Amino acid sequence: MRRVETDVCIIGGGISAALLAEKLSEKAPQLSVVVVEAGRRLFDAENRLEYRRRSIAYDENQWPGDFIEDQGGEGVISRTMAVGGSAMHWQGHANRFSEEDLRLKSMYGLATDWPLSWSELEPWLGDAERRIGVAGEASPHREDARSSPYPMPPMPLTYNLERIKVWAEKAGLPFYGCPVARNTVPYDGRSQCKRCNTCTVCPTGARYSPDYTFKKLLTGRQIDLHDRVLIRRLVMHETRTDIVAAVGYHADRPGESVEYRARTFVLAAGYAWSPHLLLLSANSRFPNGLANRSDAVGRYMTGHRFTTANIELEEKLYPGMNAPYPLISRQHFRCAPSAPYARFDVQIFESESGRRPRLKGEGGKVLFGDDLLRDWSARAARGVARVRMYSDTHPSPDSRLTLDAGTRNRHGDPMPRIVHKLDAASEAREPATQAQIRSIYDAMARAGGGRVLSVSVADYQDHPAGGCRMGTDPASSVCDSYGRTHDHPNLFVVGAPTLPTGGCTNGTITFAGLTLRSADHLASTL
Amino acid sequence: MRRRTLIQSVAGLAAILPIPRVRAWAAGTAFPGAQEDTLRTLAATVLPSSLGTAGTNEVAAEFADWIAGYRAGAEMSPGYGTPRVRYKGISPAALFQRQLQALATGALASNDLAVRRQQLAVELERAGITDLSTVPRGEHVVADLMSFWFASPTAHDMAYQAAIGKDRCRTLEASAQMPTSLVKE
Repeated sequence: MRRVETDVCIIGGGISAALLAEKLSEKAPQLSVVVVEAGRRLFDAENRLEYRRRSIAYDENQWPGDFIEDQGGEGVISRTMAVGGSAMHWQGHANRFSEEDLRLKSMYGLATDWPLSWSELEPWLGDAERRIGVAGEASPHREDARSSPYPMPPMPLTYNLERIKVWAEKAGLPFYGCPVARNTVPYDGRSQCKRCNTCTVCPTGARYSPDYTFKKLLTGRQIDLHDRVLIRRLVMHETRTDIVAAVGYHADRPGESVEYRARTFVLAAGYAWSPHLLLLSANSRFPNGLANRSDAVGRYMTGHRFTTANIELEEKLYPGMNAPYPLISRQHFRCAPSAPYARFDVQIFESESGRRPRLKGEGGKVLFGDDLLRDWSARAARGVARVRMYSDTHPSPDSRLTLDAGTRNRHGDPMPRIVHKLDAASEAREPATQAQIRSIYDAMARAGGGRVLSVSVADYQDHPAGGCRMGTDPASSVCDSYGRTHDHPNLFVVGAPTLPTGGCTNGTITFAGLTLRSADHLASTL
Repeated sequence: MRRRTLIQSVAGLAAILPIPRVRAWAAGTAFPGAQEDTLRTLAATVLPSSLGTAGTNEVAAEFADWIAGYRAGAEMSPGYGTPRVRYKGISPAALFQRQLQALATGALASNDLAVRRQQLAVELERAGITDLSTVPRGEHVVADLMSFWFASPTAHDMAYQAAIGKDRCRTLEASAQMPTSLVKE
């Protein structure tokens, strides 16, 4: 067995780990920090243009080697397991949650309140935006007031989005460019965006990914990064409840364990692998898993519904210039406490839906050459907008991650199974929410001109989170607002798993802000 | 050095060269090999006439280069939230070659373009091909050659009659402009 001693052991190497490590290194440089990540480091930015090319030409993985073959599971689980985590192929959408998300119980009598106020969280969202590098413009809604400006000017709208904005606003919804973690000016040593249309693998480095933070920290020798080490168990002190060790194995040395001994352990392994490790680490005093006296570990797995419509416009658009960049409206982000509850954002993207070349024409005849091109051109004469709404839904306690004894990795550990379930109130109001969403689609088509081609509701919860929800009551939550677990004084959980509810827009900035707040707390208390 | 090892080394070197024909040879499948004329005839049959003979021949050569660059067993793009890993299947070169061979004496034997297209339509129906894909799927050389070209930025621009330059990097300012029209006055 190999032993590593450190002040802080961070388990998981995604965006939360990167920002936590960076903040700790600034605020408490005297602390030794080790980040342990099961996947490999993908620090080959010079190859990303070629990865992008092969992804387009051959549908190959944009991030070769970003997974561990037998470390998977069932349910909505990203297979990405690498330094940088899922944020390596994040598109960079950097929306904020709002005060309503933190006060659902007190404002609407729904789900639960978060154990911190909006004013406590908001400055940390600004910190996250500065560190990541977010380009954005101020929201027209006064409720979206910010304590600090976006660090970069907003992304200019493409020709298509300019036209779509004019069209969409006829329905009375104000739209603006979505805030994104893409550089509109050179920022933090990375270049300006070149709109390559493949934000999930950015060949220029203009879209933030956590590898840049890790590389800076390693260059400055501010942290140690142990990649390809899978932590399999957290070990508790024999008589007390503090954690004394994390035990793992390097991918190349399966016969030799590595024991990390630390004053503080931080789980930053995302919504799937953080609760998974706590459940795996059950012992005789915590037979249901560590940090789980409440039986809340792996419960309240959350996210949000999303509904998509393709709406045909009465004018020509030219898709292909920047499909991953949307307009956003937060007009329906708020809901009067007296009104039936429905909250959602509205995002609009350029789309090629129904505008791709097709083999068969209207009558089913196979088309070739000029006929096929003419058929395509005729359909392209009218543009299509993809209108997506993330609606707020809340998890049931039975929305769970459990250990699946039928699927095990090479070490024999059961893999996670996630089954999302909405709470009764969310289920009950879903038909009314969907009816309201469809009425907005119809209103947009009617006011701006056009027709709704299709509407679909996703059959999974997007932007998953939860599994170690924070709260003030140790009987119903896993950790406090700083991520400190109620059951173990030196064990923290940060990022997505701590969210009690999943909001109604992209969550990364919120995960990141919460993590930075935890890091500040840790730095001041260690 | 044994002869086979030497050949492998030379082929390995050739595979990283920027010359398409050399790369195709290096892949060891010699696609399209003896069926080069058939592939050219196929391209001229299924692609727009506005490309001209030189244009369709070039697409045929680019398609052969695509085959040469195909990596069997490569990891594929994951679906969103999908924990399973998928891998590319075997190279379609051999299948395509057999299909071209059959087409040479079958659907593509006629000198009449309309007849060739009619027979290719039957061929596609028989093969159960119902639509084009964004990336060739390795199922049928006719559909995959069509998918290969119709998914290209060139085809996209021709369909939209504008210089969109799909998937090409551009300045932020340039993307705010309406693409230049390709319609001839």
